Amino acid sequence: MAIDGWVIIVDENRAGGMLDAARRLGGRVTAAVAGRRDLAKRAAGMGFDRVLCWESADGVPPEAYAAAMAERAAQEAPRLVLASDAPPARVLLGAAAAALNAALVASVRAVAAAGEKIVVSRAAAEGKVLEDIAVSGALAGIFDGDDAEQRGGAAVTVEIVPAEAGAALRVLSTEAESGAAGLLTAARVVGVGLGLRARDDLQIIEKLAAAMGAETACTLPVCDDMRWFASHSVVGSSHSRIAPDLYIALGISGQPQHMSGVRDAKVVVAVNSDPEARIFKNCDYGIVGDLYKIVPVLTAAFAASKNP
Amino acid sequence: MKIVVVFKWARNPLDARVSADAAISWPGVKLAASDDDPAAMEIAAALAAGDEVVGLTIGDGDTAWAAARGAARTVVVTDAPGETDSAATGAALAAAVRRMTGVGAVLIGDSAWDYAVVSALAGRLGWPAVAGVTAACPERGELRVTRRLGAATQALSAAGPVVLAVTANRAEKNVPGMKEVLAARKKPVEKITAADLNTASRYQVQTQGVRFPDTPPARIIDGGDPPTACEQLIAALRTDGVI
Repeated sequence: MAIDGWVIIVDENRAGGMLDAARRLGGRVTAAVAGRRDLAKRAAGMGFDRVLCWESADGVPPEAYAAAMAERAAQEAPRLVLASDAPPARVLLGAAAAALNAALVASVRAVAAAGEKIVVSRAAAEGKVLEDIAVSGALAGIFDGDDAEQRGGAAVTVEIVPAEAGAALRVLSTEAESGAAGLLTAARVVGVGLGLRARDDLQIIEKLAAAMGAETACTLPVCDDMRWFASHSVVGSSHSRIAPDLYIALGISGQPQHMSGVRDAKVVVAVNSDPEARIFKNCDYGIVGDLYKIVPVLTAAFAASKNP
Repeated sequence: MKIVVVFKWARNPLDARVSADAAISWPGVKLAASDDDPAAMEIAAALAAGDEVVGLTIGDGDTAWAAARGAARTVVVTDAPGETDSAATGAALAAAVRRMTGVGAVLIGDSAWDYAVVSALAGRLGWPAVAGVTAACPERGELRVTRRLGAATQALSAAGPVVLAVTANRAEKNVPGMKEVLAARKKPVEKITAADLNTASRYQVQTQGVRFPDTPPARIIDGGDPPTACEQLIAALRTDGVI
C-alpha cells in the first residue's frame, strides 16, 4: 500500500534525508515549506512530488503558520509527516500531529511500511539501540536520520498557500554571529572540551589547528563555564551544527548535546584519556591517551603531511 | 501572569540499561528533571512576577521539584502514558493545562530526551509556541522571547497565551537546599488521572523490537606511544581520503 507523506521544511537541514525516508512508503511526498519562497524553490528542485509553501512575510517566523499548515494537513490527511529537529520545525510538526491525531515519535532514523502499519525506527537509550515501533494511524516523526543529497529532475511548481499568520508571533531581530561563519563551512575542525586543563593550554590546540588548516570549536561548558571561547565557537544541538570532512575532538567526553552538532561530520576523531568516555562509542577513530602528549605529535604529523 | 511549568516528564536516557540482546530496561529509574527544566523554571519565576507558578508533572515520583523552586502548587497526572507514546504524554499535559484558568504561558524544558513530548504539548494546546528559547521577559504587554536558531540569536514578540520550550545554556546555579525541599513538600499537590482528562487517540503505537545499530564500532588506537598512535591515525585518515 502506498502511503503519502509530508516533509515539513523550515531550512534545508536533512530535507534530502527526510525525502528519502518518506519515499520508502511508496506514496506521494509533499514538501510543506514554511519560509521564504527561494527555500521552497530549492525544495522544488530536490525531487519532491509537490511543494506547498506558506510564504513568510517580513518579520513573521515559520511557527506563525502552524495553525494554517495543520489545517491543510487535516484536509489532506497524509499518514506520515516528518520534520527536522530545528525548533520551528518541531512546533509546526506538533500542530500537524495534533490536527491529524497522529502518534509523535522523536529521533526517527527510518520508516517502512508493513501492511497497513508504518514501522518507525527510532534511536533509543542515547542512540545505543534502535527501537522499531509499529504505528497504526498517522505518524508524525522528528527526523534524526542521515541526510542525503538529492538531485531531482525537473523542478516541480511551488504552490503558494494563502494563509493567515495571526498576530501572536513576530520576529523583532535576528543576529547572526559572524564569528561562526568560518566554522560552519570549514572542512576541518578541532574541538576542545573540559579535558583541557587551563586556558593557556589553548595554544597547543591553536598550533594543531594551524597545522591542519582547521577552525577551532568547543563544547558548551568550555564557553559558558570556563569562558575560553565566544559562544559562536560552541558546537552542539543548541548552537552551531557543523559538517566538516574531519572533526578532531580533544578532551571531549561526548555528551549528546555536543555530538548532535557534529553528526554530519564525515570523520570524527576523538582523543581522550578516559577509555570509558562516551565519545569513543560515537566516533570513527579514537586515541585513548593524554591529549597533552598526543596533540604536539599530531601537530608535527599534520605539518609534515602539508610540507612533505 | 499565571505560569505553568512542566517538569520531570521523562527519564534520563543515560540511565537506561541496555543488555547484550539490545533490550532496554530501567531498573529503579524514575522520571527526572532534565538539564533544561531548571532553565524553564527560572524564566517562569521571572515572568510570573509574583503571580502564581503552577508545577505540572506526570508519574508517581517526588513532586516537590517545582515547589522547591517557587511553584505555589503542583498538579500531577499520575498515570500519563510515557516512553513509547510521546503524543499521549503531550496530550495529557495539554489537557491538564486546559483545566486551569488564566494561564498566560506554559514553560517546558526543550529537552532532547524526547522532543516529541514538547511538540505534542504545543500542538495539542494549539497556542503559539516557540522552541529553543533561552530567555523571556515582559515587554509592552507581550513577551520578548529570545531563542537560538543555529548560529543566530533571534528575538521574537509573543502575545499570550504561549508555549515556550526553554533550552539551558548553563547548569542550574541556585539548587534548592534541604530547607526549601522540606517546605516544598508541604505545598498543595493535586493528583489527577488520564481518565479525568479524556484524551483519546486514534492511533496505536506498539514496540516491535530493539536492535543494535549496524554502524561499525570506532577503531580505537592506544595512545600510550603517541608517535605510533598518530602515525596510525594519519594513515587511516589518508585511506579515508579526508587528508
